[in-house]
Formats: sequence, C-alpha cells, structure tokens
Amino acid sequence: MRIIVVIGRVLDPAGIVVNRRAGRIFVNREEYILQPADRCALEAALRVKDAAGAEVIALPRSLLPDDDVLRQALARGADRAIHLVGQVGNLPYEDAAMTRVLAAAVQRLGGADLILTGATTLDTGQSQLGPRLAEALGWPQILGAWQVTIQRVSESAKWMMQAVVMAQRATLKDVILSDRRERRISWLHERETLRCAQGDIFGAVRRDGAGYVTVEADLPAVVTVAPGALKLRYPDGVRLINVYRAGDAVERWEVSDLVDEAALRPQLEKRGQEFPPERERGVRLSGTPEEMAQALAETLRQRMRR
Amino acid sequence: MDFTFSPEHTALRRMVREFAENEVAPLAMQMDRQHRVPLEMIRRLGQTGLLGVCFPQEYGGMGAGETGYCILMEELGRVCTSTATIVGAHIGIGAMAIHLDGNDEQKRKYLTPLARGEKIAAFGLTESGAGSDAANIRTRAVREGDSWILDGGKVFITNGGHADIITVMAVTDPSLGARGGITAFIVETAWEGFSVAREEDKMGIRGSSTAELVFEELRVPHENVLGKVGEGFITFMKALDMGRLTLGAASLGGAQASLEWAVRWARTRRQFGVELAHKQSVQWMIANMATEIEALRSLVYRVAWMVDTGQPFGQLAAMCKMYGSEVASRAIDMALQIHGGLGLTRDFPIERGFRDARIAEIYEGTNEVQRIVIATNIFREHGVRIRP
Repeated sequence: MRIIVVIGRVLDPAGIVVNRRAGRIFVNREEYILQPADRCALEAALRVKDAAGAEVIALPRSLLPDDDVLRQALARGADRAIHLVGQVGNLPYEDAAMTRVLAAAVQRLGGADLILTGATTLDTGQSQLGPRLAEALGWPQILGAWQVTIQRVSESAKWMMQAVVMAQRATLKDVILSDRRERRISWLHERETLRCAQGDIFGAVRRDGAGYVTVEADLPAVVTVAPGALKLRYPDGVRLINVYRAGDAVERWEVSDLVDEAALRPQLEKRGQEFPPERERGVRLSGTPEEMAQALAETLRQRMRR
Repeated sequence: MDFTFSPEHTALRRMVREFAENEVAPLAMQMDRQHRVPLEMIRRLGQTGLLGVCFPQEYGGMGAGETGYCILMEELGRVCTSTATIVGAHIGIGAMAIHLDGNDEQKRKYLTPLARGEKIAAFGLTESGAGSDAANIRTRAVREGDSWILDGGKVFITNGGHADIITVMAVTDPSLGARGGITAFIVETAWEGFSVAREEDKMGIRGSSTAELVFEELRVPHENVLGKVGEGFITFMKALDMGRLTLGAASLGGAQASLEWAVRWARTRRQFGVELAHKQSVQWMIANMATEIEALRSLVYRVAWMVDTGQPFGQLAAMCKMYGSEVASRAIDMALQIHGGLGLTRDFPIERGFRDARIAEIYEGTNEVQRIVIATNIFREHGVRIRP
C-alpha cells in the first residue's frame, strides 16, 4: 500500500505581529512550521502505516524554496519525500497548477492507494487542493476527516478506508454526500456509516457539530484531514539527525519533467491585500431572562432591517 | 567564523522546543508543588531519543554532539529547571562518565539503555565530608577476588532516589590520595547492599530527586570498574567539565525564560497611565538582562563547538557554569522586581524560577570552586602553581 501525504509550510504565527493601523504584517522571525492541518494529515498517514503497513511518501503542497517540511516528514516516519523543484507564478496558492503537478507526480510514482492532505491552510485559508486532486484523479474524496482508518475487506482482499468526519448528528443536513452521476445530493438522516464511491464528494460542512459520522470509501481515495484532529508524533531523534545531515535524504524532481509549461501558467495575481473587517464587540445583556430575551429579539430585528 | 547552527541542530532545537512546551512546561508547576519526579515524562523523553543526544549512534545515541546537548539543556532549562537538572545528572555526568571512559562492553551494556532512557543514571561523588573538597571522599572499595566490596555513602545525589545505574567514586588505595587512590565504578541500584537513606526536601528544583545513598558490603564485579583502577578521579573531573558546560546551557534557558516573562509583563502591566515598558528603569533592566544572556549564549555555544572539534575547554566550561548561574540569578531577580509583589505570589512562575535558580551557583562545583579552576589555569599559563 502506498500513501501520499501532501504537506506545506506556513510562517510561524509566533514570529509575526499584525499591525492593523499600518495595514501590514511585520515579520520579526522568519521561521516556518508545518501547516497545522497538514501535521494532522501526516499523523493520519503514519497511523495507517503503523496499523496496516504502508509506504508513506511526502510531497509538497506548493513549490517550496526549501525542503525543510519534507525533511520533517521523514524525521517523523515518512519513508520517502520528494521535493518538487520549479516555479508556478509568484504565489504560494496556485492550487490549479499544483494539482496538475501533483497528479503527474502520482502517475510517475505509479499511482497510490490513498492521498492525505490538510483540509485547509492556516495562512491563505485554501481548502481546494484535496478536492481538486481527487477530481483530477477521478477518486472519491472525503473532506475534513478527524480520524482515518484502513481495513481489508476480507472476501475481495481489497483495502477499504474509513474516515470519521465530524457532523451535526441532530440535523444531519450539515453533511452532504453529493453523487454527481445521478445529480443528487443525499441529506443524511438515517445511516451513520456512509459509502463514498468514485466521483463522490463527502464533506462535513460545519465543524461545530456535536457528533461524528463514519464514511467508507474504496481505495484509492483522497482524504483531507481537519486541523487539530490528531496530535502529530515527535520525530525520532536519531532519524532527525540523519535526515538533516544527509544531503540526499529528500529526492528532487524537476516540475518541468512532470508537466508542460502551459500547465504551470499562473492563474492568480495579487492585486493588493486587505485585513478582514474588525469584529464588532459583543454586548452583555442584563436583567431578568424575559428582559434579556426582549432585548435580544429587538437587536436581531434591527439587524435584519439593516 | 560562522555563528549559524547547522540544519540538524536547528531541527533538533525545534523538536526539543516542541517537546518542552507540550510535555514539560505543563508539568513544571505541579512537579514543584507536589515535590514529584515526572518519571513518565522522562521515559517519553527517552523514547524520542533525546536522552542520548550527545552519545554515538552505535550506542543508541543521536550523535548530535555537545552542541546538540547544549540545545537540549537550554530548551529544558527554559521551561523547567527540575527537568533540566534530572536530564543533566543523567546525561551530563552519570552516563557521560561511561561514555568518556567506559570500554566497549560497558557502553553496550549500560550506555545503550541510558541513551534510550530505558534506565536512568546518577553520579555518585559528593559525600558528607567531601563537597567542594571532592578528593577527600571516604567511601571505600576493597578488592575481593573478581569483585570489589563497596562500603560508605553519598549525599546530595541528583536522581539518587530513582536511578538504575550510578557511577560511583570510591577510595581503592588510601595511601595514594586523589591521583592513583580513587577508582570509578558502575553500580546497579538493584544490587544487594544499595539503599536510599533519605530524600532531601529542598527550596528549589523540587521536581528532582536529591538523595542520600548508602552502600553496605555492596559487591561490584571487577568488569564494572570504569576506566583504570586508581584513575577514577580523572574520569570524574572530565565528566564534570562536560556537566559544567551544559549546566551553563540550562542556566541560559532559565535566564531566557526570565527575560521572556519580564517582557511579557512589562508590555501589559500599566502603571502611571502607561505600560511598564515605557519606564526607563524597566527598560534598563530588560537591556541588561538581554545583553548578559547574549554574552552567555555566545560563550556556551562557542565552548560546545570547542568540545565538538576536540579542543581543550576545561577552564571555559567552568566559566560557563559560573557565569551562567550568576546571569540566571540576576535575570530572575530583575524579572521578579519588574513583576513587583505579584511576582512573589504562587500565581506566577517567577517565585519558582527564583527558588530554582539559586542551586546552579552551588551544584556541580560551587562558583567559588569554578573561580579556583579558572584562576589556577590562568596562573599556570604564567608559571605559577596554585597550592590548594
């Protein structure tokens, strides 16, 4: 079994200061960490490796100037890491072009059984890479998983995957299984174990739910893992030292060998940056419950008029 | 001249900081209050390989050198002095003595499980009558066939209450004194004749064990003689040199934490209508702390580099220990002053830091002994032999 885990880096938030008045982000310490959701995806991959035995290969989610996150993945237990060297525009979130590059890399590796990546990025809030990759490969996709397990379906000796996705159990409207062959969206009321077949998309739309649903899919499949889902293990000290000492611990593939130039044409340009609007301060209501309810209702009414 | 850390050392620091902040820091207060050694956490630290940070990979270590070891101690010292003390006694002196002078068989048998944290080490030198005057020990070892019989005791032994393996110094020939008359032994605490007499109740480093040990007709096989018979004192002094350097690194971490606390408080606490940071008296304290810390950092990692490149470093290690402990004490003192009365309360980590900092001026050779070491070396270079 082969698992590909797609990971990226993000500027360590502890090293930056956001200054709204100046409209700028000041970088005091330029240090990069693994994307929090990608950390969870890596841990999910390593747990499947521990349980079922698999080769874990780390690939970057964008074309990074250095291979540090890939070395981190190796130190924590990945078997191979491949640094994709090249340029896609100037922005770190060219997911369309990256999808082509990654799909080509998967082909060159001779396919894979499972692709895991973070459900979202901390800096740019991108959630597209996993779904796009599943589209490109024609695999089922499960988004925002909190737990990923693999089991062998006994009769067919095929591998099947189970992902636990958080959902609102009370109103399962939050969970959508879209089956585009039949142009149908299932609203899931009854079953808590769902099957996600080829071409299906399964995603928990809301994260604030109280329950979980289990989704099954045949492999190969793409699963994105929710940030905070799993605690990433510590590196093995000896591995860490050896991986960082060895010049050739990470393989290097030229992007130009994987896809043609047209596929790498940037589709995004940066025209400026703006902070999200400042959040309004809340109001603490006081009085009897009736008075508070009255005040709340009045506020809501005014808001709706506005 | 290149002052940058290598990629593996940068990665190591990130790994240690992750462990220290997630696993060690949350325990620090409770270890201090409950006077409890966090053995479970130390075992997990061992599972990551960090307890073998500076030992060769063939003996289960990481092979990250003395620089790597200083990084470990700095980051542990930054979050919990007790943990740094436990790890320092384990790696820096207990296991270090075996690493420095053990033979291949001893390293395989003892250093490997110590490097992996499966066993915990201690260093048995100090006695009730021999503290700074270390050569004046009384614990006796008498040869009996293929074994040595140890009688005596040790005091103030860090990790003494829970160590599995202790490197012990004992007199093998009373007529010869320190050079020739003292031998180092590897003692397993499971052996008959070993007992822990009492654990000290201390002002600081309360999360670490400091114990009095008793040896009564403790039989040690001859193969457990560490180094050569009669050369134990040299083994121990070499181990202490290493320990002193890394104690400086732990003090560096403690001082760094004091600075971070002080800065955090100074930018939020308001008096006279402004944050304390705008007060010159506070700025000067912060500037002094930061400058001393940077000077200490340069000293510590330069000496680590000297060890890793095989240069003599004994005098500089003494400076690391002495200067480091005093910088840490001054830093926590200033952090406490900046916090005012609140710093004295148990709601803040400052009072624990204050109690924990003091020991570094005492253990692994008091700062007075370090000054003797430094001055003796300086005068020796000028042809003057200092009489003890």
